[in-house]
Amino acid sequence: MTKSVVNVENVQKIFGKKSENQYKALDNVSFTIKEGEFVGIMGPSGAGKTTLLNVVSTLDKATSGKIEIAGQDITDMKQNQLADFRSDQLGFIFQDFNLLENLTVYENIALPLSLQGVSSKKIKPLVTQVAEKLGIKSILAKYPVTISGGQKQRAAAARALVHEPAIVLADEPTGALDSKNAHSLMKTMEHLNQYHDVSIMLVTHDPLSASYCERILFIQDGTLYKEITKSGDQQQFHQQILNVLAELTSIQSS
Amino acid sequence: MLVKLLSGSMKKMWKDYLVLLFGLTISIAIFYMFETLAQNKAFLEANALISSIVFVFHVGTFILGLVTIFYIFYATSFVLSLRQKELGMYMTLGAKKGKVTQMMFLETLVIGIISLIIGLIVGVGLSEGIARLLMSRLDFSGEGFQPLYASSLWTTVIFYMILFLLTAIVNAIRVARKSVLELLHADQKADNKVIKGWKTFVGTLFAIVLITFGYFAMINMGELAHVGVLIAAATVTPGTYFFFMAMLPFIIKRIKGIRSINEKGLNAFTYAQLDFRVSQLSKVLGTVAMLIALGLGAMTAGLSFYHNTEIQSSLTHSYDIKVHQPTEEELTEMENWEFEERNLYSYRVTDDGVYFSKHDLQANPPMIKEFTGNLDELTEEVRVENNLSASIYTNDEETDNGETMPEQWQTALRTELLANFYMFGDRSLYILDQEKWEEINAETQTVLIGKVDNFTDYTDTLEEIENRHLQLALEFTGEEPLTTGSKYANYTSLKSLANGTIFMGLFLGVAFLMMMASVLMFKLLSSATADIGRYQMLRKIGVRQAKLKKSIYKELFLVFLFPGLIGLVHVLIGMEMFSFLLIEPYTKIWIPISLFLVIYGLYYWLTVKMYQRIVLPKG
Repeated sequence: MTKSVVNVENVQKIFGKKSENQYKALDNVSFTIKEGEFVGIMGPSGAGKTTLLNVVSTLDKATSGKIEIAGQDITDMKQNQLADFRSDQLGFIFQDFNLLENLTVYENIALPLSLQGVSSKKIKPLVTQVAEKLGIKSILAKYPVTISGGQKQRAAAARALVHEPAIVLADEPTGALDSKNAHSLMKTMEHLNQYHDVSIMLVTHDPLSASYCERILFIQDGTLYKEITKSGDQQQFHQQILNVLAELTSIQSS
Repeated sequence: MLVKLLSGSMKKMWKDYLVLLFGLTISIAIFYMFETLAQNKAFLEANALISSIVFVFHVGTFILGLVTIFYIFYATSFVLSLRQKELGMYMTLGAKKGKVTQMMFLETLVIGIISLIIGLIVGVGLSEGIARLLMSRLDFSGEGFQPLYASSLWTTVIFYMILFLLTAIVNAIRVARKSVLELLHADQKADNKVIKGWKTFVGTLFAIVLITFGYFAMINMGELAHVGVLIAAATVTPGTYFFFMAMLPFIIKRIKGIRSINEKGLNAFTYAQLDFRVSQLSKVLGTVAMLIALGLGAMTAGLSFYHNTEIQSSLTHSYDIKVHQPTEEELTEMENWEFEERNLYSYRVTDDGVYFSKHDLQANPPMIKEFTGNLDELTEEVRVENNLSASIYTNDEETDNGETMPEQWQTALRTELLANFYMFGDRSLYILDQEKWEEINAETQTVLIGKVDNFTDYTDTLEEIENRHLQLALEFTGEEPLTTGSKYANYTSLKSLANGTIFMGLFLGVAFLMMMASVLMFKLLSSATADIGRYQMLRKIGVRQAKLKKSIYKELFLVFLFPGLIGLVHVLIGMEMFSFLLIEPYTKIWIPISLFLVIYGLYYWLTVKMYQRIVLPKG
């Protein structure tokens, strides 16, 4: 049996103070992601996707419940511990790339390693290696402004992977890409997941991107609505996803 | 309609505009302050110890003008960076290029005019306030100084109107040249210019050659005079800018190029921050360095003139304190003073002469200052040769009665024992042995002379003694002299002469350092908003807050270090300029310098804190 890399138990996130109008963004959410899994989180806007990602990625604190990542309970860690934990165990890919535009692609990718105090001798082979995996070796010396959106997202992915985190958290990584680049990025992520055992948690509202995942959790109004697992080929899975989304829409409109 | 749109979004970005207005206003106010002095010829000539002071101020205006031009061009380009994205958006919605260009022109100009009006009001207020404060601290009447000086007002208005017109045109041209897309994506564009190797080399060479020439001129100011001032101004100023435009980016690039440094922790980010806007930064840092040089230089020169009065007044006087016929009160007061040496001599005064007892003089021969003929040390202290064998010595050349008094003894009596023309009129001086002394039919008086560690500690009592001496002189000579020629009298009259110069130095020092602070502040705050996203991102990928803070400390330290260093070296070499005016231009130079370092350090710390508040994510 494989170990679980993310373990979320009864997590609640409430916005607003007690005296004010409170809003439950997450209500009793529980799920696990196993090592080497590629899990998607879907749901209509406002369902709590981003809140869930923020809570799992330690950028925000859950109001109650327990979250374990790579066997460590992050719910009662201090700010500094959390920062170290992020730089150690998590890899981020954001919709708007979030590359530092004043650093070259190489320096951007090297940054997580530098932060961990890896010596510069060891940094270079690691960066080259991950850049090769993502097919961006030729643009390492360039600045982010001079490369395309697809290349930027690959650079961001390289940065997320270079320190071999326990899990990569991707927040709408294809959101700012055209369909060709989006497809190619998702292919790459699928490849990384299948051949390099990278665990990925992907938040998206795009059914096509989601169809690359192995399993999808749907959330609706802060609760887990449904969970589907890929059984057939990608085409079928895509159709399955569309069906669930249609279900969700009909619930919402009724 | 466009006007409406623009004024609407100006309101939205009022914080950014406030920063800009503040920066421009201070620059205008300081320029005006400088001109209130520079153009008030009558005041300058009446109050300065430097003969060609008007000329010096002309050169000063030139340097300040140059520095201001750099600064204003940088500051107004900020309007463009605030605006271009929005202008691009208007164009995609159908606004014509001509219209948008025109708006940019008008906006730059309007901001300029608003800041000009506020700046002049602030300038008049600051001139008045600072002048008044300094005058009261220095006991300086400062007659003729006018905080509201019409011709300076006009110069400032004309100078800045031309500058703002020019910058408005430049901004408009820049907008006109850019395509809609370039405008829209302006904020994502890195202006990381690739610096060509040969350009760096030529720039660095220029910087070194120009600064060397300037330093040479400053060191040899005595011989070069006016030409020297011109050479120094025309070489050091561009040399400083060349240094920051060519050499500094090169140095940072080099540090960044060292892998083991760059790839350590957040260093890559810190140096990238520095390196990234290197061309913008270089002009600002050049300006800051020049302002530090001017401000600290003016202050140091002012204080140097101040300390110089003490040195000058000790030049001819060995003893700090000379008291004729000390009163009981004075004697008790002096009981508490720490004397390094204290002597008491008896004398008698008749209508024709002042007679000193040889016995007393030989028991404690006084010291005098003798001229050495050596420029490095003008006088030296020697004890009078104890060689009085005759029974009568006199300085009266027409009498045969007695030997001619040796030169040293004449100096000792006149200067150190204050038996001079001011006190005793044209009475002759005598030194008599005991027998002859007894024959003089007059009351015995005493004169006390003493050396103390720091004679300015006792100026209150010395002033009273001086006043009593003036009365005494009135009794002896029948008229009250203007001075008694004592060290204290020399000191006060030299000080009142130097006060005007000291006032100018401190006034300008404060003004320039204020402008320096506003320039640095402007640079920082105007670029801080762009940095927020970067720090947010770093937090997300797991950089500890403490590390982010450290990175800011480091980045700003380097930003502060280089102009501070260059400015300081300029001042240290620049003080040589005064060596032909002042005896020791470097006396107590540590006072203004440590004062500056403390203020600069505090300012650094404050800036770091403000910057951290803007860019660091909360929580």
